[in-house]
Amino acid sequence: MTLRVSISTRLGSYGTFAAISAVGIALLFALVFIQGGYLLTVMQLAMIYGVFCVGLNFFMGYTGQASFGQNAFAAIGGYGTAILCVQFGWEPVAALVASMAIASVASLVVGYPTLRLRGHYLAMATFALGLITYDLSVQWTSLTQGYMGYAGIPPLGIGRFVVEDERLKLVCLMAILLFSLWLSGRLRNSRFGRALRAISTSEAGAAALGIRISQYKLAAFVIAAVYASAAGSLFAHTVGFISPEVFGLQMVVVTFTMLYVGGVGTVLGPAIGAIIASLLPEIVRGAGRFQDIAYALALLVLLIYLPKGLSTLADLGKRRPAEQGGGN
Amino acid sequence: MPSSVELIQSLVNGVGIGLVYGLIAIGFCVIYNASGIVNFAQGVFVMLGGMFAYSFLVQIKLPLAVAAAISIALVAAIGVLVQILVIRPMWQRKAPMFAIILATLAVQLLIEQIIILTFGDQPRTYPEFTGGGPLKIGDIAIDYQLFWILSCGALMVGLLTLFFNKTRIGRALRACSQNREAAALLGIPVGGMLMLSFALSAALGAVAGILITPTQYTSYSVGGPFGVNGFIAAIIGGFGSAPAALAGGILLGVVQSAAIVLFGAGYKNVIALTVLLIVLLFFPRGLFGGLAKRA
Repeated sequence: MTLRVSISTRLGSYGTFAAISAVGIALLFALVFIQGGYLLTVMQLAMIYGVFCVGLNFFMGYTGQASFGQNAFAAIGGYGTAILCVQFGWEPVAALVASMAIASVASLVVGYPTLRLRGHYLAMATFALGLITYDLSVQWTSLTQGYMGYAGIPPLGIGRFVVEDERLKLVCLMAILLFSLWLSGRLRNSRFGRALRAISTSEAGAAALGIRISQYKLAAFVIAAVYASAAGSLFAHTVGFISPEVFGLQMVVVTFTMLYVGGVGTVLGPAIGAIIASLLPEIVRGAGRFQDIAYALALLVLLIYLPKGLSTLADLGKRRPAEQGGGN
Repeated sequence: MPSSVELIQSLVNGVGIGLVYGLIAIGFCVIYNASGIVNFAQGVFVMLGGMFAYSFLVQIKLPLAVAAAISIALVAAIGVLVQILVIRPMWQRKAPMFAIILATLAVQLLIEQIIILTFGDQPRTYPEFTGGGPLKIGDIAIDYQLFWILSCGALMVGLLTLFFNKTRIGRALRACSQNREAAALLGIPVGGMLMLSFALSAALGAVAGILITPTQYTSYSVGGPFGVNGFIAAIIGGFGSAPAALAGGILLGVVQSAAIVLFGAGYKNVIALTVLLIVLLFFPRGLFGGLAKRA
C-alpha cells in the first residue's frame, strides 16, 4: 500500500480519491482473502486484466490513439507461454519474458505501417489484426491446437519455488499489477509521458515542439503490446489452460469497459476499472436470467453519468482552481 | 483448383451478401457523417428487422408489404429511442467518442438479451419473397431473393441519393456532417438531425435484415457479424457516399465468397480482413475516398 500512497501524493489532485479507493480496495482484498474460493479467482483475473489495461492506457489514454486489437498480443503471450512451457519444458519466467520479446517485435512490425492511420481507420485496422489473430489461433491447429487449446500449463515460479496456493497467486499478481502501475505513473510524468500526452492533445502542436510523433506512437503501441503479452502469459500460468476464446472479441469489449469505467488516461483508472468491471457480473449474478441485462444497464448508467470514468469522481470534491494544476 | 462454375457461383452469392453488407454500411455512414459516432449496435437493427418481420409474417400472417413496413417503422423507432436514452445524454455530457462507441456495444448486448427473453434463442427464417426458383443459367443457380436484394438495394441507394441532394432535410443532414457548428448557426436543429440519422440508419438496417433472412436465418446473435462486416464495408467505401458504401459491401462479399471457395470457410475472415488491411494501408481514407482525391 505504501507504493499506492507514494503515487497518490505525487499526483496531488488524485490524492484524496486514491486514498479512499486504496482503503476500499484494501477492505475488498481483506474480504477476498478471508472468504477465499471463487472470489479469489475473480480477483486474480481482475489483476491480470488490470495489467492488460494499464498497458492499453499507454496507447489509448496517454497517447489518445485507438487500438481494438490488443488481444492479438495477449494471444501471443498466452500461446507463447503455453507452447514454450508445455512442448519445450521451459521455465515459466523464461517463457513469459520470451513471449514479451516476441510480442514487442510483432508489435513493431505490425505497428510501423498501421500507425500511419488515424482515428476510426486506425481502430478498424487494429480491430482487423485482433480478429485475424483470433481466426489464426482457431485454424492453425498444428501450432495452437485449435479449439482444444493448451492444458497443463505450469503455474508461475522460479526454480523450485512454485506459486501454487491460490492466495499466494493473488498476492503475486497484485505485486505485478502494483509494479506495472508504478511504472505507468513514473512514465506518465516523465519526458516520454509528457510527449505522449502532448500528442493526444494536438498532433500538430506536438510536432511543432519537436516531438517525433510516429516514433512516440510506435513506442506507446509496443509498450501496450508488451503489457498485453505479459497479461496473456499470466493468464496462462494462473488458470493453467488457454483456448482461442480467451483472447477473442470478448477480451476487447471487456478491457474497453474496464478502461472507460475506470477512467482512460489516468494512472489508477485502468486498475480500478478492472476490479469494478470484474466484480460487476458477480454483483448482478443475483438477477438470475436478467443477469446480462442488469450488466448492460449498469454499464450504460456508468457511461452516461460518469462518461470520463470513475476516476472523475475525484473532480467532484475538488476546488475549481485546483483543476488548472490537475494531472489531467 | 475449383472449377469456373464454382467460382462464378460464389461470385453470385458474394454479390447478394455484399449488397446486404452495403446497406448496413450505408447505415453506419449516415450516423457517422451526422455525428462522428460509430454505432456498433448497427448489426442489432439487422437482427431486429428479421425478427419483427418473422413475427408479423409467420406468426400474425400479415401480407409481406405490411409486415415489412411495420417492422421497418418499429426498428426506426427503436433507433430513435437509443438516441434519446443513451446517445443524447452522453453527447450532452461531452463524453469521449470511444465511451459513446462502448455504450453502443452495451446497447447491442442489452437488446440481444431482451430478444432472448421475449423471442427465445431459436434461429428462425421465412420463405423467399417469390416462390419457385432458383433461376438456372447453365450450372449456376441464382435465388430469386437475390433479385429482390438487388432491386431493393438499388432503390434504397437511389432514394437516399435523392434525399441527400434534393430535399431540405437531406441537405441539412449533409450540412451537419460538414460542419456542425456552422449548421447550428444556420438554424439547423443539430440534435434533431442526430435523431433523424439514427432513425434512418435503423430503418436501413431493418431493410437489410428483412431482405437477407430468407436466404439464411435470423437469431438473437446474428447482429455482431453483420455489424462487423458492414463496418468493414463502410471503411473500404470510405464513409463517403451511399454508392461508395454499397460498392465496398459488394467488394467485401465477393472477396469473402471467393475466399471460401479458394481457401475453405475457416479462412474467410482472415482473407477478408487482410484485404481490408491492404486497402487501409494503400488508401488510408478508403478505396473511393483515395481514388476520388487522386482523380
